[in-house]
Amino acid sequence: MTTVTKPSAESLLVRRPGPQELHPVRTHRRRRALELALAAAVPLLLVLLWQLAASQAWIDDRVYPAPSTILADGWDRAAAGDLWPDVWATLKRVLAGYAVGTAAGYVLGLLMGSLPLVRAALEPLLDALYVVPKLALLPIFLNMFGLGEGPQVALVAVTVFFFVWISTMSAVITVPLGHRDAGRVFGASPWQMFHHVLLPASLPQVLVGARIAAGVAVLVIVASEQIAATNGLGHLIFDSRALFQNDVMFVGIVCVAALGVLFSELIRLVGRLLTPWAPRDRGRGQS
Amino acid sequence: MGDPHPKLHATELTRTFGRAPRAVEALGPVGLTIAPGEFVCLVGPSGCGKSTLLRIAAGLLRPSTGRLEIRTTSPRPAAMIFQDYGIYDWKTVRANVRFGLDIQRVPRREANARADTWLARMGLADFAQAYPATLSGGMRQRVAIARALAVEPELLLMDEPFAALDAQLRMILQEELLELTQTTRTTTLFVTHSLEEAIVLGDRVLVMSARPGRIIAEQRPPFPRPRTGDIRSTPEFTTLKSELWALLRKEAVPA
Repeated sequence: MTTVTKPSAESLLVRRPGPQELHPVRTHRRRRALELALAAAVPLLLVLLWQLAASQAWIDDRVYPAPSTILADGWDRAAAGDLWPDVWATLKRVLAGYAVGTAAGYVLGLLMGSLPLVRAALEPLLDALYVVPKLALLPIFLNMFGLGEGPQVALVAVTVFFFVWISTMSAVITVPLGHRDAGRVFGASPWQMFHHVLLPASLPQVLVGARIAAGVAVLVIVASEQIAATNGLGHLIFDSRALFQNDVMFVGIVCVAALGVLFSELIRLVGRLLTPWAPRDRGRGQS
Repeated sequence: MGDPHPKLHATELTRTFGRAPRAVEALGPVGLTIAPGEFVCLVGPSGCGKSTLLRIAAGLLRPSTGRLEIRTTSPRPAAMIFQDYGIYDWKTVRANVRFGLDIQRVPRREANARADTWLARMGLADFAQAYPATLSGGMRQRVAIARALAVEPELLLMDEPFAALDAQLRMILQEELLELTQTTRTTTLFVTHSLEEAIVLGDRVLVMSARPGRIIAEQRPPFPRPRTGDIRSTPEFTTLKSELWALLRKEAVPA
């Protein structure tokens, strides 16, 4: 098919080393520096723009206080100790709910992933519950647990539960048959099968679910604290808005954002330590 | 070498992966010259950089040092066939074969005609509208071959294309490829583990060393073209195979 090539029209296609090959260390260093600079510069630029807009009165700084005001206010409140009780209250609820929800979701996901009968029995029910907005369950939890910490923790737990349950179940179902068969042929007991095969095989995917759940847990607690709590960051945000303390409201928002980032990075770090064999998860999840 | 206009010419080609101090030298230095229309087979132990060399030729990877030149009339002269077929599950067989032509913006009518020609040549005409998932491994690899040849490449790069097939199917596809390349005379660089495959197919067989891969031997199977798979039963074939195996065994045994 290739016709005899005419030398006149011929050119030379050259594959030669690029900058990355000629100076690997330098190129890598520059690339890292550029990535870090971009990661820092974009938020910084937006904050500066905001500052400028507030100081130039392009926006009403009573409604949108300048970043410097928010920072100063946040610093003062933190130094005076007004901020920590709210942060601590939120953190406690998130951690407690997260622990309960993850554990329950993992156990049920594992059972449903490995036992088809349990899956047949529970899957339709859980699918139906999954689509109910979790915040709509708050009144039920309020009736069940009263006004204390119970409803908040329960709400976080239920939210987290579904994320972890679904990712665990699908992870266990998709464990390659060959992996299970190898264990079965050796005569692995259910516990051995779990410990040597199912747990490590499913863990990377479970951790992705767990990390998304970490973000959503913070999201849900803020909403529920607004409705039914007397402290916590969610309460702080909405309470201060009601009192026209917009700078305090923004301090709360910044705290929530920081809490969410720290929490989900913590889960990512734990995941990396738990699954040294898995490819690094650099995604941000859709939380 | 005598040819003043080689199709492909590589000098002092090396490739290193990762950065110091954990850099791995994968390839070279390698020098290589391929004449137009030549079928060159590259054999070597696992991880010796055969595929790396092929990927450099394909433009998927840059060399760490050295250069590789391809004398060509088009900006994209190469087509590549991969071990795991590399065909798309979401395209029908015909659309898969047409893929390269679609990328080159060949008009649909002509692209379909050319795809159908190749489907007929590969014995896939009845499966034009089927999806690859419904095909056997051998048929999928035929689709991959048809896809590569449909663009009429000046340089055909094949990366262990038959490694995933069973032994009988391998032999059948080798025969088909032999017949095909003997009529098209496409310049081909063929990477394989199998000495037998290399001798049956190649005008020239190059043996590579263990990592970092260098070319340690070159043999020209003494079988005139057009040839068929029947050469397997000749004494020359057996002699050449054991000769190459003696070379390769030294490299294949882990150090």
